Amino acid sequence: MRPGFSPRGGGFGDRGGRGGFGGRGGFGDRVGRGGFGDRGGRGGFGGRGSFGDRGSRGGGFRSPGGRGGGFRGRGGGRGGGRGGRGGFRGGARVTVEPHRHEGVFICRGKEDALVTKNMVPGESVYGEKRIGVEEAETKIEYRAWNPFRSKLAAAILGGIDQIHIKPGAKVLYLGAASGTTVSHVSDIVGPEGLVYAVEFSHRSGRDLINVAKKRTNIIPIIEDARHPHKYRMLLGMVDVIFADVAQPDQGRIVALNAHHFLKVGGHFVISIKANCIDSTAAPEAVFAAEVKKMQQENMKPQEQLTLEPYERDHAVVVGTYRPASKQKRF
Amino acid sequence: MLVLFETAAGYAIFKVLDENKLREVDNLWREFETAEKANKLVKLKHFEKFQDTTEALAAATALVEGKLGKSLKKVLKKIVAKEAHEQLAVADAKLGGVIKDKLNLSCIHNSTVGELMRGIRTQVNGLITGLPARDISAMSLGLAHSLSRYKLKFSPDKVDTMIVQAISLLDDLDKELNNYIMRCREWYGWHFPELGKTVTDNLAYCKCVQKLGDRTNTATTDLSDILPEEVESAVKVAAEISMGTEVSEEDITHIIHLCDQVVQISEYRTQLYDYLKNRMMAIAPNLTVMVGELVGARLIAHAGSLLNLAKHPASTVQILGAEKALFRALKTRRDTPKYGLIYHASLVGQTTQKNKGKISRMLAAKASLAIRYDALADDTNAEMGVENRAKLEIRIRHLEEKGMRRISGTGKARAQSDKYQHKSDVKTYDPSGDSTLPSVPKKRKFQEVDEEEQKEVKSKKRARLLESPVTEYIEEAEPPTKKKKKKEKKQQVVVKLEEEEEEPSTSFVTEEVPSTSFGTETPEKKKKKKKKIKIE
Repeated sequence: MRPGFSPRGGGFGDRGGRGGFGGRGGFGDRVGRGGFGDRGGRGGFGGRGSFGDRGSRGGGFRSPGGRGGGFRGRGGGRGGGRGGRGGFRGGARVTVEPHRHEGVFICRGKEDALVTKNMVPGESVYGEKRIGVEEAETKIEYRAWNPFRSKLAAAILGGIDQIHIKPGAKVLYLGAASGTTVSHVSDIVGPEGLVYAVEFSHRSGRDLINVAKKRTNIIPIIEDARHPHKYRMLLGMVDVIFADVAQPDQGRIVALNAHHFLKVGGHFVISIKANCIDSTAAPEAVFAAEVKKMQQENMKPQEQLTLEPYERDHAVVVGTYRPASKQKRF
Repeated sequence: MLVLFETAAGYAIFKVLDENKLREVDNLWREFETAEKANKLVKLKHFEKFQDTTEALAAATALVEGKLGKSLKKVLKKIVAKEAHEQLAVADAKLGGVIKDKLNLSCIHNSTVGELMRGIRTQVNGLITGLPARDISAMSLGLAHSLSRYKLKFSPDKVDTMIVQAISLLDDLDKELNNYIMRCREWYGWHFPELGKTVTDNLAYCKCVQKLGDRTNTATTDLSDILPEEVESAVKVAAEISMGTEVSEEDITHIIHLCDQVVQISEYRTQLYDYLKNRMMAIAPNLTVMVGELVGARLIAHAGSLLNLAKHPASTVQILGAEKALFRALKTRRDTPKYGLIYHASLVGQTTQKNKGKISRMLAAKASLAIRYDALADDTNAEMGVENRAKLEIRIRHLEEKGMRRISGTGKARAQSDKYQHKSDVKTYDPSGDSTLPSVPKKRKFQEVDEEEQKEVKSKKRARLLESPVTEYIEEAEPPTKKKKKKEKKQQVVVKLEEEEEEPSTSFVTEEVPSTSFGTETPEKKKKKKKKIKIE
């Protein structure tokens, strides 16, 4: 664990826990932002714009933290994880500093959060919090990254040594789902990089395409990752493969994709769910078996990290593909 | 050996210059480390660019299915013509088989080919000259989006963005229209204020102004197609005695321009409303059937998209639009609102104030089912919405009929309505409760009644004998009311019938009359009795 960084406990921008006002905008910690009420007689809710208040999509108030208690009493299930959220109320002062990993930042305030620089300012992808920072005439917006929803964020907070995803990198993302983590990867690689997001499910694919519409460095591919030759027309060589497919044969899937598209000396980051591979065996045994399978495919693992406390029986393995053989030292 | 390499920009055919190097599979990647080295190993023989995105999409879909697309066939035929003896390296074994079958071109696919492909892919920019790197990435992005849309069977008439935009535009237009009309009225009112007061309809006002121009033309212009007669005459009168000031031609021209705008915008607004109705029916037919087009469109717009709306629970759909009131109530621990946008649905509007809350809850529950069906089902028709609406209407009827609750007591029990009495078991009218005067002994009453009955019977007999029209008797007896007339007519008719049927029965009838009441009497007789008492 990186010293001085306290992981954010309760839910972050969690859509589920809210009363379900899934309006368009997210809400950001903009200082002095009036918010809404511009939609005339619509009860002041608009739903399109972002609004400054964190806790609820409420009617335009910046109430003190005491509201949390009152809400829980009346709102019941509506309040959900809101009470536990402590800091990041609307208008709180925070500072953003770069993380050890390039492209990732830490937002320090009453509670710290992992953030990435928003490539599309003003838009929230899955209802996450946005933090606006004024920096010498320019306004930069950051989006909070929820480690409970994203394995990559959980790995970073867990202290992984290298994620290999950096600005300008080309990433092949297998198992893109609705594009929540893909959007953060897209933020990290920036406009110079590319993210090829592969997702087989049609429902999630629709959401993924919507995310890709806003971000031009995401290339959505609605195909089965088991057959990489089917989407060979769309891809070039990539630098990193990130796999979060949760399939029992995921080792083979990643290997196949690597053989097709991963450059020599490229890296891979694989998230392994022990339950998914073999629910009867012990998680450690499952991870070891997976690692062995990788080694047979000329994929050399370099580090392995479990995702406690964010996920149970999950591990992330980072390694190199076709590593250049070391020079013999004298 | 030739190599077939597919890119988003087009098909590339490479020729392998040095086949020996292919034998060292493991080190083949070194040959592709730089563009120059790669060019020494393979050379671009032919590059077939896709003409447009449709061609690219067709090629991509053929590739996904492992079939031979038209453009690929064309390219390969060219090659076959030139170098039929060469082997073709392909990335997909299935495709290789198809090519061999159709074009008689021998294809190979093995790990060496895989390595070769990797190498080419690494150096694709350097190998395919004349194609900038940006081009390829832009094309692959466009192709990926079209391919995904094709895969997801994206249909443009199921896009709910149109609804959201259309309803916002409708609101904007209304606001603008209102502003312009107010401005027009104020402006023209300087010249002809009485017109504003006589013509209340905004569109008619603007059309009038358009036609009239200067108010001096009122006498000569015919406004019958815009205004009803009385209003037109009122306008003509007002024009004569108007207290407005004179204005120049130029001013009138400008005012008329404004009126033109207003009329145009009004027309467009009606068109837009029709468009919105069509789109709503196409996109969310069940929701439209349940709550109506306008309310449905507002719900979708408020939630952001149809899918978003489908994710909301029914309770949220019920109070969507009343968030200010909701959170205020939650904050101050008061009662939360019962309806939001759904208040304007016709089902909620047509019930009594008491039931609006209940109906809005029921409607929200069924409507949210309809929304989910519309948003997530593959094939949508309006059946489910119609069924749900019928169910709701039945329930509303029940609510309004059986809603009678006892006022006293706990208030929870249903008010008991009287049990139905079969007609043959007739209860006669008990007149004892009629008057608050000290009750007279019954006997006496009967006597009086007796006398009256006899009198009446006699007079009836007389009437019969005289064969005078029935109605005269009635008029004589008491002030004729329609009801009584009818009753009398009935009675008379009955009597007549009886008389026609059986002569002897008349006596029977007369005998019965004195015995009065507590026997089996026909309802007509009962009515007769009632009438008699009133006379008393």
